[in-house]
Amino acid sequence: MNKIKRYRLQATGYRLQAKKVKSLLLVACGLWLVAFLLGMAQRPKPAVYIQKLKNGHYRLIVDRKPYIVKGVCYNPIPIGQNHEYDWWSDPNKPWIVDGKLMQAMGINTVRFYQPGQNPESVKKVIRDLYELYGIRTIIGHWLGFWEYPCPFYGDKDFQDRIKKEVSDMINTYKDEPGILFWVLGNENNYSCLGMVNPWSNEEIDKEPDPIKRKNMRYNIYYSFINELAKQIHSIDSNHPVALGNGELIGLEIAAKSCPEVDLVACIIYRGKTFGNLFRSLKATFDKPIVLTEFGADSYDAYKDTEDQNMQAFFLESQWRQIYENLANNKEGIGNCLGATIFEWTDEWWKHNENDPESWKVHDTDSNWSNGSYYFDIKAKGNKNMNEEWFGIVAISKEQEFGIDKRIPRKAYYVLREFWKNPTKNLKPKTKKAK
Amino acid sequence: MKNQKSKILTIFLFLLFITIYELRFTNYESFAQDSNKLVALTKQIMEAKTKEELNLAFQDLTGLYFNENKYSEFVEFLNSLVKQKKELEPQVNYYIALSRYQQLKYLEEKQNWDEYFSNGNTYRQEITEQAQKAIGSNPFTDKLHIYARLILWQFHRDQQDVFENQALSDLMNSISEYVKTAQDYQPVKEVAEKLLVYGEKVKSKELYKIYVNKIITSGITDDKLKESALGFYKEGNLELAEALYDVYVDRTVKSIAKEKLIPILMDIAKQFSYKDQGPKDTFYAEKIFKKIEEVGTKDIFDERLLYLRAFNLEKTKDYPAAKDLYSYFVGRYLNSAYIDEANYKIGIISTYILRNINTGKSYFEKLAQKENLSAQVISSLYQLGLLSQWGEDNVKAGEYYNKLLEKAGDGFPETVTLAKERIKEIEQVKPIEYNLKTFLDASLKEEYANFDMTKIDLKSSIYRAKKDQAIDINSLPYIEQSGCLQVELQYLWSGHIGTAKPSLDESAFNTTYIHPGTKEINLIVISASGVVDRNIDLVDVY
Repeated sequence: MNKIKRYRLQATGYRLQAKKVKSLLLVACGLWLVAFLLGMAQRPKPAVYIQKLKNGHYRLIVDRKPYIVKGVCYNPIPIGQNHEYDWWSDPNKPWIVDGKLMQAMGINTVRFYQPGQNPESVKKVIRDLYELYGIRTIIGHWLGFWEYPCPFYGDKDFQDRIKKEVSDMINTYKDEPGILFWVLGNENNYSCLGMVNPWSNEEIDKEPDPIKRKNMRYNIYYSFINELAKQIHSIDSNHPVALGNGELIGLEIAAKSCPEVDLVACIIYRGKTFGNLFRSLKATFDKPIVLTEFGADSYDAYKDTEDQNMQAFFLESQWRQIYENLANNKEGIGNCLGATIFEWTDEWWKHNENDPESWKVHDTDSNWSNGSYYFDIKAKGNKNMNEEWFGIVAISKEQEFGIDKRIPRKAYYVLREFWKNPTKNLKPKTKKAK
Repeated sequence: MKNQKSKILTIFLFLLFITIYELRFTNYESFAQDSNKLVALTKQIMEAKTKEELNLAFQDLTGLYFNENKYSEFVEFLNSLVKQKKELEPQVNYYIALSRYQQLKYLEEKQNWDEYFSNGNTYRQEITEQAQKAIGSNPFTDKLHIYARLILWQFHRDQQDVFENQALSDLMNSISEYVKTAQDYQPVKEVAEKLLVYGEKVKSKELYKIYVNKIITSGITDDKLKESALGFYKEGNLELAEALYDVYVDRTVKSIAKEKLIPILMDIAKQFSYKDQGPKDTFYAEKIFKKIEEVGTKDIFDERLLYLRAFNLEKTKDYPAAKDLYSYFVGRYLNSAYIDEANYKIGIISTYILRNINTGKSYFEKLAQKENLSAQVISSLYQLGLLSQWGEDNVKAGEYYNKLLEKAGDGFPETVTLAKERIKEIEQVKPIEYNLKTFLDASLKEEYANFDMTKIDLKSSIYRAKKDQAIDINSLPYIEQSGCLQVELQYLWSGHIGTAKPSLDESAFNTTYIHPGTKEINLIVISASGVVDRNIDLVDVY
């Protein structure tokens, strides 16, 4: 073997060795990658989370699939009872009848303003709705909004008490598979304006400028919500936290003092459409939105008669706009995750909550005025909103399955058809003008 | 014989031809089979030689169907037209979009819900598709292009969807292109009117400006310009009337002698000044009043015009200016029929609106000392008594009230009743009635200076009322939003409120007055967190 041959053999040997090393390295990298991916896979994604897409749109992901909230506010108070009635423990289980009707309509979510007193009963309702009908639950907390004389958001003791109540609620229900997300408050932000449930503290009282006073209240309130959201995230990483808010009022301050919330849960009564709601929210507080209270009543206060069509007209139009603004509809804003209609059934106690006799009567006196619901705005004193007539399902004194008989209204059927093929209903589009 | 046969055959063939020819046009009818007009219009459309002829025929045809709300029939008819003559497509596209747009409005208005829910989506789709086709098939120079853009914008505006802004911007761009070559500016005016109805004031003004420019550059004479302005005023199109009057005033200021110009300006100012009925723009009226002052002097105003200007300012709620002008008026026309009214109004404005109690009192004193009785003289005594009572000088207050009763005798029952109520309070050592006391506190105490009458709107349906005439008094507090949580408000009414006795929860009431005079209506609105604001309004009863 001459020198040259030897070198060649040596070189071949080195090359073989180098190849081996290379292969080993590749195998090692591959193993590392597999281990890394397995590691990733072992870290579970939250059951429910919000995904921000590349185009800036938002999607709600539930069990790894996009989820559109098609919901109702659910508070099935029977005729003759008021809001204190513990329907959660009703042996006739109204949610069984309602859940079936909801499922048939296409509803996938219910919203509870606050859970009942008995956690076992509440869990039973959540489980039944989820296991029997696939209906998920949004649970809220009033945050002491209705406390007498007012909710003292500027008071440390008050805040601590509410924090405890909220953390107890989360710990109690966070492992229920049917839970979708949490809502903090409802229209509590209006209390910062000083007209409903007004509250204050010494520091605010000293400030003479009313605008500054208002902003001080907002800051206190939204910072408190931020603390609550942080607290919930530390207890439960599986469900988003929503800020319940009346309209978009105060959200420019929430944008600074309340970054911990995952989404906004808005209460909106703007009639036929939501106007510039989605665009405004994007501009002021770029969080996704679920309309957790909206809708229309089914009583024409002007003609003094039930008008199911009027309700269906408003709801269909509102849902059209909700769908336009869901993610990946390139013409929409893409920040809407869905909505929960106010509400599933009528509540006969609402007109006069202090008079038990009136809870047995379906009152037709209107409670408040809203010009956006224009068909009956000419009613006396412009009071056209009939609080006892917001259900998309009417209830009757006739009993069926041990509960007040359910009679779906026109809106039930119109929305059922809408949800069967929502894209068909969104067809009218304007192409870019030439 | 043969000849006769061929004659008969010719006549028969002629009649057959005529029948078949007519049938071409009568085939399309679906609802007005016997309508001669429809046949005639169809014929016009089919045989139209110019676009103008075609447009006119289509307009008439639209009226024919729309008057009877036969929208679907119209669409059907339009579709049959285009099958016969494809060239009609640009027009047909537009009119289908228009018809479906009107149809949806009609269904909603009439609450024809079955058709609305079953066909609404189809109609909505047709509106956008046909309008877009119309935009594509009618050039920028054609007014149908503009109208199609307008329909599209209105549709998106009504839906408040994401296309609204783009549709508006496209509409405005199309108009900019259109006016480069167009002779007919009517579409510009119509779009401006529509924009105004929808509250798009800025864009509307932009278009009115284009329209006005077209008019003034068309060589129109001053007289014709004024005539046009008056025409638009009578139509109720104040935007356009004012724009044309502005141009007219600018032109004539340079060309007409002062003596001739001032009466013309006075007429314009009177047109726009406050009146209970008919078109008015009190701000524009004041603008012209100022112009008159610029051209002439303040002395140029006669008694009636000066009073009218002050009254107009009062109704504009420019109270400092109104007070100044009423003051000038009372200094200049001492024997005017309006002198007591003007003095009383200065007193009220000074005391309760401008919070200058001493000035106010001096005017009430001036009136109270008058020998000749009037409603305002009696009311001034009441005001002096009231201010003394509020200032806890009950002796002085009693003197004023008793003087009032003595002077009034059997007359002035409304003010006499109020004075008697106050006397009773003094006799029984009771405070002033709660509503009135709250109003006086909020209006006169320095610490309540933030109640500046900006948070409540207070209006009367009539400001120059006759005795026993029904008057609606309305209030609208501007309070922060509260969603479906209704803010509980209380309305504390006081003053000369006539025959009505509005309760605490009434934001409005209907009343009449049985005696002439200047009636002050006081209001305080209270929420759970305290006083929202106060306001006062003045109604003159003759």
